[in-house]
Amino acid sequence: METANAIEIRDLDVDYGSRRILSDINIDIRQGEIMVIMGGSGSGKSTLLRCILGLKKPSAGHIYMLGTDICHTSNKKLYGLREQIGVAFQGGALFTSMTVAENIQLPLREHTNLDENTIQIMTRIKLDMVNMLPYENLMPSELSGGMKKRAALARAIIMDPKLLFFDEPSAGLDPITSAELDELIVMLKESMKMTIVVVTHELESVFAIADRIAILGEGQLVQVGTPEEIKSSTDERVTGLLNRTPRKNNVDKDVHIERLTRDKE
Amino acid sequence: MIKAISNLGSYAIETIEQIGRTFNLLLIIAWKMCLPPYQIFPIIKQIYFIGARSLTVIIISGATIGMVLGLQFYNTLERFGSVGVLGSAVALSIIRELGPVMTALMVVGRAGSAICAELGIMRITEQVDALECMAIPPDKYLVAPKLIAGIVSVPLLNFVFNVVAIGGGYFVGVIMLGVGEGSYVNGMIDSVVWGDVRLGMVKSIIFGMLITLICCAKGFYLHLSQYGSQGAEGVSRATTDAVVISSVSVLFFDFLIGALMS
Amino acid sequence: MKSNLRYEINYDVLDLSGEIDLHHSPELRKKILGSLKNKKSLLINMQEVSYIDSSGIASLVEGFQTAKENKLSYGLLRISEPAMQVLTLTRLDKVFSLYDSIDQFQSQLQA
Repeated sequence: METANAIEIRDLDVDYGSRRILSDINIDIRQGEIMVIMGGSGSGKSTLLRCILGLKKPSAGHIYMLGTDICHTSNKKLYGLREQIGVAFQGGALFTSMTVAENIQLPLREHTNLDENTIQIMTRIKLDMVNMLPYENLMPSELSGGMKKRAALARAIIMDPKLLFFDEPSAGLDPITSAELDELIVMLKESMKMTIVVVTHELESVFAIADRIAILGEGQLVQVGTPEEIKSSTDERVTGLLNRTPRKNNVDKDVHIERLTRDKE
Repeated sequence: MIKAISNLGSYAIETIEQIGRTFNLLLIIAWKMCLPPYQIFPIIKQIYFIGARSLTVIIISGATIGMVLGLQFYNTLERFGSVGVLGSAVALSIIRELGPVMTALMVVGRAGSAICAELGIMRITEQVDALECMAIPPDKYLVAPKLIAGIVSVPLLNFVFNVVAIGGGYFVGVIMLGVGEGSYVNGMIDSVVWGDVRLGMVKSIIFGMLITLICCAKGFYLHLSQYGSQGAEGVSRATTDAVVISSVSVLFFDFLIGALMS
Repeated sequence: MKSNLRYEINYDVLDLSGEIDLHHSPELRKKILGSLKNKKSLLINMQEVSYIDSSGIASLVEGFQTAKENKLSYGLLRISEPAMQVLTLTRLDKVFSLYDSIDQFQSQLQA
């Protein structure tokens, strides 16, 4: 069954041990949009991504991906679903024992019976899309950080997924490469009709690509809205993130002195 | 005081969890290996890595151990005037005990540590997650070929070790110290029975599985252990642990199998 | 994906319709290469294609290459909007010979 929403997150709570990382998250991600999940370090955005990918089990709540509740489904269904998604990890997560081309071909070889020529041409098409064609026979250890990211993107889109996840696309990249990646993400959405979820804290690329933005702060969903709505938000946590105001801790003085002098447990 | 007890408790829980995870991994892989697709090429690659690449160190250590045994047994047996049994003494100790144990320890040092570090690095650089997200089961894709390769290569290496070590004993006993060639070879042939060879084979198959399993589990489940968030340092600690635990288990199981089978 | 191969005297027309994805492109590849193997020029009608993924594009590219090696004409007819977007994205819109009508292809053949 096709729903208008590619992903629905309902009442999601996530804990690490006794520490609550995310509480009561509700987000809908519509088909064919670019949703940017934004937040500072420690806001829980990476944990949210891991939950959506099924890598971390939440303590409570549901995540519906393309209509299936991935928190309460069989491994087999989860794997079937994962064949329809692509993920580009922050550091690339390329397999170090394979060349760039072999990395990109891996999903095709594992999941399809395509002809060798088709696989070769598809690999080159994707490498060309991310401007990595000259480097197909290099090993990942010979690539720069930005090249690894681009190769990882090529691997993520090799199966033409309906859903693409991108963790920190522009972190640690020079402005030009970063802008090229942004443009590529928008093109993928438009011509391949992909739904794209980007997790980042880089402001510039957020407004360049986002259809809608979800802002997380300290484990809670602060706001979801279009870039205009986010820009005109009056919420202190949103404006703080946008204007890069340092977080202020207005702590009671007694609490503060207690924190500094308390005995170690 | 309470802190110490609670530390002890959490240490015990972590240890039991690890043992549980390790055997769970074995069961998962045993089950998934029965399902297609079968990974022939990766297994061959791992046999090359664990087996063929360990050959040099096995040959060198085998020859050395054989020569040392020849020398020591000769000195001892000479006092009782029974150098004639040198061949049987060397062969029996190699085939029953030293062959399987030394082979396993050498493989732990050369391949086991590398396996653990490789899987640990793949875990912390999200390569395992990436496989998971590509719908390629990482336990089957990464661990299973290594485990099978361990079970296949260690007995083969053990065989090479035995041959070289007995040759080393022959070199020292017969060529250097002048023990009669006939008494060395015939004594060996007469005293070694099928039961001895079987014991050695069973040991090395179990050791092969044990060491690859422990080293794989230590690296593969790095994120769940207390070193999980320590990055490169975590990998090095897990590797050290893997080498120590698998070496100790080899010695312990050596005794256990010996006691149960004889 | 549905496909229909029409035989003309000196060329074939392959009508494609529907979605072409990973499951269909092996069949597409077989049809394209089969037609070219008979030393006949090929025109692929893509008017009814609602979706084509990169495996489909890869099959088209392989056909193009094979046609070039055998000095045969190879063209795409009336490319649908979704397919055109993918071709543009993969920078192949300038590579293939694109035609608006069969007559155009025929006159190209005779020239």
